[in-house]
Amino acid sequence: MGYRYITDDQYNRLVDFKGAREYHLKKDRAKKDKRMSLSEAVGQFVQDGDILAETGFSYVRSPIQSYFEIIRQGKKNLVSIGSPMSNTSYLMSLGLVNAIHLSYIGVEMRGNDKNFARAIKTGMAEIVSIWSHGAMGLGFKAAQLGTPFVASKQLLGSDMIKQNPYIKVIDNPLNTKEDPVCLIPALFPDVCIIHVQRADRFGNAVIEGPAINDIALAAACRKVIITAERIVPEMTIRDASDAAIPFWYVDAVVDLPYGALPGCMPGYYYWSREWWEWLVRICTPKQEAVEEFFQEWVHETKDQYEFIDKLGGIRFIDHARRLMEAAQANIDDSQVSFAYQEVIPKRD
Amino acid sequence: MSNVAPANPLEMLAYNIALEIEDDQIVYVGTGLPMVGAMLAKLTHAPNITMVYESGGQDPIAGDMPWSVGCPFTFRKSPMSMEMSISFGQSAIGYVDIAFQGGAQIDMYGNVNTSVIGEYGEGLKAILPGSGGGNDIGSLTQKSVLVGLMTPDRFPAKVDFVTTPGWLDGGDSRVKAGLMGGPTAVVTQVGVFDFEPESKRMRIKSLNPGMTVEIAQMCAAFELLVPDNVKVADAPSDEVLTILREQVDPRKVFIKMPGM
Repeated sequence: MGYRYITDDQYNRLVDFKGAREYHLKKDRAKKDKRMSLSEAVGQFVQDGDILAETGFSYVRSPIQSYFEIIRQGKKNLVSIGSPMSNTSYLMSLGLVNAIHLSYIGVEMRGNDKNFARAIKTGMAEIVSIWSHGAMGLGFKAAQLGTPFVASKQLLGSDMIKQNPYIKVIDNPLNTKEDPVCLIPALFPDVCIIHVQRADRFGNAVIEGPAINDIALAAACRKVIITAERIVPEMTIRDASDAAIPFWYVDAVVDLPYGALPGCMPGYYYWSREWWEWLVRICTPKQEAVEEFFQEWVHETKDQYEFIDKLGGIRFIDHARRLMEAAQANIDDSQVSFAYQEVIPKRD
Repeated sequence: MSNVAPANPLEMLAYNIALEIEDDQIVYVGTGLPMVGAMLAKLTHAPNITMVYESGGQDPIAGDMPWSVGCPFTFRKSPMSMEMSISFGQSAIGYVDIAFQGGAQIDMYGNVNTSVIGEYGEGLKAILPGSGGGNDIGSLTQKSVLVGLMTPDRFPAKVDFVTTPGWLDGGDSRVKAGLMGGPTAVVTQVGVFDFEPESKRMRIKSLNPGMTVEIAQMCAAFELLVPDNVKVADAPSDEVLTILREQVDPRKVFIKMPGM
């Protein structure tokens, strides 16, 4: 296929409908207590060579503390997919991910991601296929719906068509008039970690706020780890009948308060914008700076509580909670200020 | 004499974005200046617009400036949020009126590049973030408005990579590709541009105060079409500027000129 890193098996497994079905058929169906530690869950269910799907929205309800555990455990040869997939940036520059299915890796109005650019330019990682958010989302949704592909009106006419070997443009065979459509295959990554507000010990999981692609990904992925701000009694979820993900999709449940830090968690805490500014503006231009940054914030940081200590401890976390409550209009806005000190007060 | 300072180029850009929005519309908003423009529209001539976001937030109540498209301000007290694929789906089935997007390159037919400068592989010059929701919004929404700072580098005759199709090669090429809707306007610091209905080439619609056809032409690497009468846009009133500065973006996150 002319790729440097991705193996034929990794390439094909993403769209292997039958293979994913076989895998799901063999999964343990027992409704049992699946709670374990984060290091056990990552150790057992994220394997070298896996296709890892990013969840949440880059730094909103994303399992960032779990990505840090993946870094600590030194997983390798991972293939990354997701829409968006901004955490893949540092997973690439730290050498864990070397092939990606690209939708978006960036930091929005904070400019281009130099980590990502360097990883591709220096050949540390390769882009296997290119997607839009919506097109990739349709691939995950197709998997959840149990349909081999969907026909979309996205991607038509774009140059992404030429950079994506998985998709195909045809004339809609059900329409008598000319009607080009883009066929998008059902996408089946190997593993995803989904951080939720609450779950029970079996894996029934509740998502507050935008679910992004996570409901579809829970169905599509061969292996699913749920990390939760709170583990609640099963009856709490039964009473509200609000689970988005059923327990039988789920392999491991991790009680992980603050699991989305340094990102934000709806209902719980606002993100550490300073941490992201520091990473994006100060560190990403230099490979050594990125490595030092993750040495300090991941390798030399045992868990999320030590991470909070480094961010400022109780003062940081109390402020982050109040900011989130104000952002969600649950307390008076005038109680807090959303102003913050940018590391470099400049947009590039 | 007014004691309100005249609009700077970013404020003028935000104002022109606001004017593209009509009351009662469903508006697909990104972050940055389009958000500022949409919030300004809502506080002035278009109080009944509904804002929707690709990350899934629908119809949030007003709040501070979002830090990201996924920021809690994009789903602040939202009656509901949608999964991402469904959020884009509503553009395709005709429930979204207008969307905004920017890009590293915008060409004479309104094609947008947010992927790569040069080309992937040997000819790589710069890697950009990729499509994100840009392709979806631009492919599916009835009207899309392109937003950018205009320089010859950023406005080439042809983009290096079509991430989001505009009118492709002009004429009926967009329709033949199977796409719906299309770009209707381009808003820059120089003025507002539209697309000539037959050729679909970019055309000057109105210039900001102080701008000339010559200046506009110097900011693009292709020939802009010039109508017989080039309108000069009205500067925003003191009242509108005051709302922009004091209510929409009081911390001047997006409307402050860099280096000032």
